[in-house]
Amino acid sequence: MSAPSAAAPVAVPPPEPRRERRRGSGRSRGRSKAPSYGYQVPGPTRKAQRRLGIVFVAPLLALVAVFLLFPMGNALYYVFVDFNGINPAPPFVGLANFREMFGDPDVYKALRNNVIWILVGTTAPIALGLGLALLVWNVRRGGVLYRTAIFLPVILPQVAVGIVWGWIYEPSRGWLNKVLDAVGLDAVTTGWLGNPDTALYAVLGTAVWSTMGFIFVILLSALRNVDLDLIDASLLDGADWWQRLRHIILPQIMPVFLMVTTVTLIGGFGVFDIVFVMTGGGPAGASEVLGTYAYSNAFELNRISYGTTLALLMTVLAVPFAVWLNRLQQRLADGAGT
Amino acid sequence: MRQPTLKLLAATAACLTMTACTGTTGSSESGESGDPQKIKWLIEEQEDAEALKALEEHVATFTEESGIEVEISTLPFDTMRTILQTQLRSGDGPDVFSWGSGPSFGGALAEAGLLHDLTDAYEENDWEVYDFAKERVTFDGKVYGVPGEMETIGVFYNKDLFSELGLDEPTSRDDLVAASEEIKKAGTIPMAVADKEGWEGGHLLSMALASDIGSDEMDAIIEGESSWDSPEVADAFGLWKEFDEKGFLPESPTSVDYDTSISMFYSGEAAMIPTGSWLVGEIDDNVDFEVGYVPFPGPDGEGIFTGGLGSGPFVSAGTTKTEAAVEFVDFLASTEHAEWTVENLHTIPPVPIDTEGLDVSPLFATVLEDTATLGQSGDFGHNIDVMVTDQVNEAMYDGFQGVLTGQNTPEEAAAGMAAAAEE
Repeated sequence: MSAPSAAAPVAVPPPEPRRERRRGSGRSRGRSKAPSYGYQVPGPTRKAQRRLGIVFVAPLLALVAVFLLFPMGNALYYVFVDFNGINPAPPFVGLANFREMFGDPDVYKALRNNVIWILVGTTAPIALGLGLALLVWNVRRGGVLYRTAIFLPVILPQVAVGIVWGWIYEPSRGWLNKVLDAVGLDAVTTGWLGNPDTALYAVLGTAVWSTMGFIFVILLSALRNVDLDLIDASLLDGADWWQRLRHIILPQIMPVFLMVTTVTLIGGFGVFDIVFVMTGGGPAGASEVLGTYAYSNAFELNRISYGTTLALLMTVLAVPFAVWLNRLQQRLADGAGT
Repeated sequence: MRQPTLKLLAATAACLTMTACTGTTGSSESGESGDPQKIKWLIEEQEDAEALKALEEHVATFTEESGIEVEISTLPFDTMRTILQTQLRSGDGPDVFSWGSGPSFGGALAEAGLLHDLTDAYEENDWEVYDFAKERVTFDGKVYGVPGEMETIGVFYNKDLFSELGLDEPTSRDDLVAASEEIKKAGTIPMAVADKEGWEGGHLLSMALASDIGSDEMDAIIEGESSWDSPEVADAFGLWKEFDEKGFLPESPTSVDYDTSISMFYSGEAAMIPTGSWLVGEIDDNVDFEVGYVPFPGPDGEGIFTGGLGSGPFVSAGTTKTEAAVEFVDFLASTEHAEWTVENLHTIPPVPIDTEGLDVSPLFATVLEDTATLGQSGDFGHNIDVMVTDQVNEAMYDGFQGVLTGQNTPEEAAAGMAAAAEE
C-alpha cells in the first residue's frame, strides 16, 4: 500500500548536465569522487568494465546456453524431422508433424480434456483455497493446526498422492465406494478410474485436493495484508460478506490472486504426472491430456519428433495466457502503487 | 514489446527444454576405456531385493572362476525402454544387457546397429536353446541374443475352491463358463482380471485368440499374412466383454491394476487368474491352497498355452570388451545357470531341464514340464505384445480397454489393430 506516499511531495533532484553524463562512465564514476583525499580516484575503463561484466555473466550464459538454448534449438530441430530415438540421421519432413497433429483426432480429444482440466482445475482449487483462507484468516486457536493440515498434501510427492488415491478409488476395496455404500448411495458407486465418464474428473479431484493447500497458504498470507480498517468501515456501512469480499478484500489481494491463478492455469496446460500415475491417460484415452499424449508418442511409440511437436503445441497454447495474466497482474500492481 | 517477447522466449524454452532431453545422438562406442576385465550388466529391476542379492552372489561365482568383474545395475523395464537406446548410443551404456526378443525389442536394436552379432559365439560355445527361441533373436540371418527365459500364459485356478464347489479342472470353454457361473453363485469372483495398465489386455487377447484359432493361424496374423481385422480377432475381444457382462470379472476391470488382481487370487476373493507363468514363484510363496495351471480353454477343447520369451542377454555393439562380454553370456547360457534360475528365480529357461533333483514346488514342476513340451513341439500361441510393433500394441491395449468400457466395439478394436499394423 504505497498510495499515501505517492501523494506526498517528493523532492526531485535537478537533472545532471548532459555533458557530464556523456563524459563520465556512468553513475559509479560520479560516486567515485573522493574530495576528502584531494584527488580523483581513477575509475575502471569501459573496456575493463566490459571484461568484468563478461566474467560475471559468463557462468550464467553457459548455463543458459547448455540447458536452455541448446535444448530449445534441439527441440525445434526435432519437429522438422522424423526422429524415432534410434536413427542418428532422421529424415527431414518439413511441416509433416504439424500437419499430422492438426489432423489427429486424439489431439483434439486430449485438448478437450486439457480445457476441462484448466477450467475445473483452476477454479475449484482457487475457490476452495480462498474459502478456506477466509475461514482460517481470523482463527486464533488451532490456526497452525489448520494451516498444517490443509497444506500437507502440497508437500507429498504427486506419485505417492496418485497411488494412494488410486487405492481410494478402487472399485471393490477402495473406501470411497465403501462410504457411498454405507450412506445408501450405492447407485453412484463405480470404478472411478476405469470408467471413461469419471476417470478424468476422479484424477481432477485428486489434483484439486493436492494443490488447494498451496493456494490456501498464499492467499492466507495475502489476507494478512488486507487493511482491517476498511473492513470495519464496511461493516459500519452495512456491507454483507459478499460485498466485503468483492469490493474490499479481493481488490486488495488481487495481484496475489492473479499470481496463483497464473500458476494454476499454466499448470493445467502442462499437467502430466498425476494423470500418468493414476490412469496413464486411460481407459482407452478417456483421460488423455496433451502431456500424457506427448509422452506416449515420444517414449512409448518412439515418435520423438511428434511428441516434441505436441509439447510445442502445449507451449504455444500456454504462453499467451501466461503473458496476459502477468501483464494484468503488473497493471494492477502499478495501479495500486500510484 | 520487449517484456512479452522475453517471457514468450523463456516460457517456450522451458517447455522445449523438457522435450529436447528426449533423445541424443552420439557415438556408438561404449566402454571405450576402463579395465577390460570389468563389464557392466544391465538387467530389469528384480521382484524383490532378495532375488537381486542372490543373483549378485551367483554372478560372484563367475567372477571367481573367470576373473571378470561384473557390475550389475537394474532399471524398471519401462525406464529401460525409454533410455536404453540412448545409453547404447552415448558410449556410456552397458556391455551386456537383458532385453526382450522379437522385432519390437531385439529386432529394433539390431536394425539400428546397436547389437553385437553372436552368430559365431553360438557355434563356438555350442549354446543350446529351443529352435523357436533362437528364431526370435535372429534378425537378417544373424543371431543377436540368448533367450533368457520362457513364459507361458494360461489360467491359474484355486484347486481347493474348485473341489469345494464340486468343479473339475476346466478343459473346454463350456467348462470354464459353467465353472464361472457356479463360482459366481458361491459369492466369489470367478476370474481376477485386471486391465488398468492396459498391457494385461494384450495377454487376455493373446490367450483367447490362441485357443480359438490355434498357433498356425495366429502365426499368419502376426506375420501379416492374415489381417487383424477379422471376425476371429473381434470374437476374442468380444469374449472378454461377454465375460464381463456375465459378471465373471471383478467390477470395472479397467479400474483394477495387476497387483490388485493378484491379491484377489491370493486372498481367495477370486477363484482363477488368467496370467503368466512368471507368477508361479509368488503363488508358491503367498497362497495356502493348492493351485492348478491350465491353458485358456478353447471353444472345442483344452486350448493351447500362449508362449513367449522373456528377456535375455544381448551384447552392445559398441562394447570394447567383447571377449569378456561373450564369456559372461556363455556363463548365462550354461545349463548350470539355467538350473540355478529355476531353483532361485523360478524362471523357465528356454532349454530342456531335468526337474528331477531340483528343489522346485509341484506347481512349478508342472509348469516346467508343460513348457518343455511346448518348447519342443512349438505348438503354442503367441504373446502378441512381444511380436508386434508398439503402434499395434497401443491399438490393442486401447482397443481392449475400449471394448470393456463400451467406448468401441470388438470389431472396431480389431480394425484399429489392423490399421496400426499397416502404418
